[in-house]
Amino acid sequence: MRAMLLIRAVEKAWGDAYLTEEITGIPPSLSTGQEAIAAGACAALGDGDFIFTTHRGQAAQVARGLDPKRILAELYCRRTGYNKGKSYHVTDMTRGVVGMGGIVPAQVPIAGGMALAQKMRGTDRVSLAFFGDGASNEGAVHEAAALAAMWTLPLILLCENNRYCITQRDTDALKGPSIAARAAGYGLPGVVVDGTDPLAVQAAVAEAVARARAGGGATFIEAQCERLTGHLIHDTQPYRSREELESAWKHCPILLFGERLERERILSADERARMNREIEAEVAGAVAHARTQPYPAIHEAYEDLWA
Amino acid sequence: MFDNRLFRPGGPVKPEEKDWPSFRGAINEAMREEMRRDPLVFQMGEDIALASPFGVTTGLAKEFGRERIRDAPCAEVAVVGAAVGAAMGGMRPIVEFQFGDFMSVAIDQLTHQAAMLRYLTGGQVSVPLVIRLPCGGGQGAGSQHSQSLYSWFAHVPGIKVLLPSTSMDAKAMMKAAIRDNNPVLFFEHKQLYRTRWPVPAEFRDADHVAELGKAAVRRAGVDITVVATLTMVHHALAAAEALAAEGVSVEVIDPRTLVPFDVDTLVASVRKTGRLLVVDEAYLNFGIQAEVIATVAERAFEALKAAPRRLGNPNVPVPFAPCLQDEVLPGRARIEAAIRQMMSR
Ligand SMILES: Cc1ncc(C[n+]2csc(CCOP(=O)(O)OP(=O)(O)O)c2C)c(N)n1
Ligand SMILES: [Mg+2]
Repeated sequence: MRAMLLIRAVEKAWGDAYLTEEITGIPPSLSTGQEAIAAGACAALGDGDFIFTTHRGQAAQVARGLDPKRILAELYCRRTGYNKGKSYHVTDMTRGVVGMGGIVPAQVPIAGGMALAQKMRGTDRVSLAFFGDGASNEGAVHEAAALAAMWTLPLILLCENNRYCITQRDTDALKGPSIAARAAGYGLPGVVVDGTDPLAVQAAVAEAVARARAGGGATFIEAQCERLTGHLIHDTQPYRSREELESAWKHCPILLFGERLERERILSADERARMNREIEAEVAGAVAHARTQPYPAIHEAYEDLWA
Repeated sequence: MFDNRLFRPGGPVKPEEKDWPSFRGAINEAMREEMRRDPLVFQMGEDIALASPFGVTTGLAKEFGRERIRDAPCAEVAVVGAAVGAAMGGMRPIVEFQFGDFMSVAIDQLTHQAAMLRYLTGGQVSVPLVIRLPCGGGQGAGSQHSQSLYSWFAHVPGIKVLLPSTSMDAKAMMKAAIRDNNPVLFFEHKQLYRTRWPVPAEFRDADHVAELGKAAVRRAGVDITVVATLTMVHHALAAAEALAAEGVSVEVIDPRTLVPFDVDTLVASVRKTGRLLVVDEAYLNFGIQAEVIATVAERAFEALKAAPRRLGNPNVPVPFAPCLQDEVLPGRARIEAAIRQMMSR
């Protein structure tokens, strides 16, 4: 619950910074509605495992335990951000977080390569690629999945089906029973999981991780959820009806998990509110920190190209 | 004719500007007219029916329906391939990429297939297709959404490469692209989309089609030739205006098309001025700037009074942070400085 609330708070701060024109450039892509996937998946991973994130990657970066101060510093284009202001593909190699996303399917084959390196170097570490329903139609994803099957790679293909590829509804582009159903064709186990339930996601990913560590190869997981906000923050979603959006909000993972924890007397509404206040204070501190950080110096434009 | 509309942060400032066509509106109108004229013209692209990112296809799905304005999935290889095959089969496809950088994903279908098929089949097939590629930096869109990669495609045989810089050219060149029987790449600089330009009467003429391979002399001058494309045309014109006050007469040439390239206009200009500066957002290494200079070196070496110079991206990815982005993109100030330096020799 904490991870999901933190994700939402960090992303709200990012979105607000754009809407108040504190930051400019490409508008933020929020994971609102998808928090349970990042939180559940990262809870199933261990130290030394790798994740490859998408253009909607802030949720997973937060869930993997990266420092909101340095995430926000990057999003504010500051030199103390994770990538020194070079891109907002927040990366922390010490935590196995590789930020990608400029080119929609590109992280998936590369995650496969990271899995190959783990296998060839004899570690028991796994590599997990996040990608979207839209990305799942790219050739690069099909090729990476087929290769992972052929070489029994310790790879988890985690498709976040948030129902939309910008304005295109998943069912307009996907004519099979599900995205995970394609796994059979690749020769991989395929699972559909409720992506609004962090525990269900955690269980599915934990099973895939155990298989990968034991040498059993890759798993294809489709986590289904709803994209609650626009593709990017300025997108008001005119292509979705009011009714559709209203019913989508009923699948808000924070709402659902909050209710469940209350029902099961694990976390009361008051305790959740207190938790959220602490998180908001932490994020406000991270924003204040980011604002005070220096911009990169001009000569830094020419650094970091070559190893 | 050119004042510096590109540099105005807000919308139109003079009332008459409201009636001038915007750059993106001009492309839209060209496609609309051609789709009305020729039922074989159709479009494919991500989100082009409902809400394309830069709004260039706005309203077309309503007029022509979803069969002719086809929303494509995220599958660029399949879509470019479909365009190639459909073109061979007698259709005239237009493909929109959301950002031209993504052409990298489907490059084989373009450079080895679309571009070579006519040749490889001994002239039996033609591949009339247009791919629209939003390009260029300046919007803080990051390294993989800010590039100007036309040198890649001008490098290989069989592809026409178009770089419009005004509303008039955007419209007339798009119409020429659609009517052309070859693969054509149409690069649209994202900073130009919202700009509005005064246009001559033929803008309204549905039969006015640009002749490809004709450079435009945007400003006549006698001291130095500046070759610039897309937004750099306007940066060069602004620099030329500033330098005119210092008594330097700058000629600005906008090639408009890289393939075919108007060598004659370029050579005639350098023969007159004796100096050449080439400015482009493209990466400098082995890029279009070098090609232009090489052409002049071959054809008018004896006319050169000074070593030619080039400005461009100094071979780093366009960084995300705006302060770093501005550092790696050329612009008016650097053009002015380079010209001053070249004139002081
Ligand atoms: C190769 C490529 N094609 C298209 C795009 C433009 N684009 C950016 S995000 C996106 C949507 C992808 O949808 P999905 O994979 O479902 O992810 P979501 O946005 O829903 O998280 C698209 C098409 C891109 N960045 N790269
Ligand atoms: Mg999606």
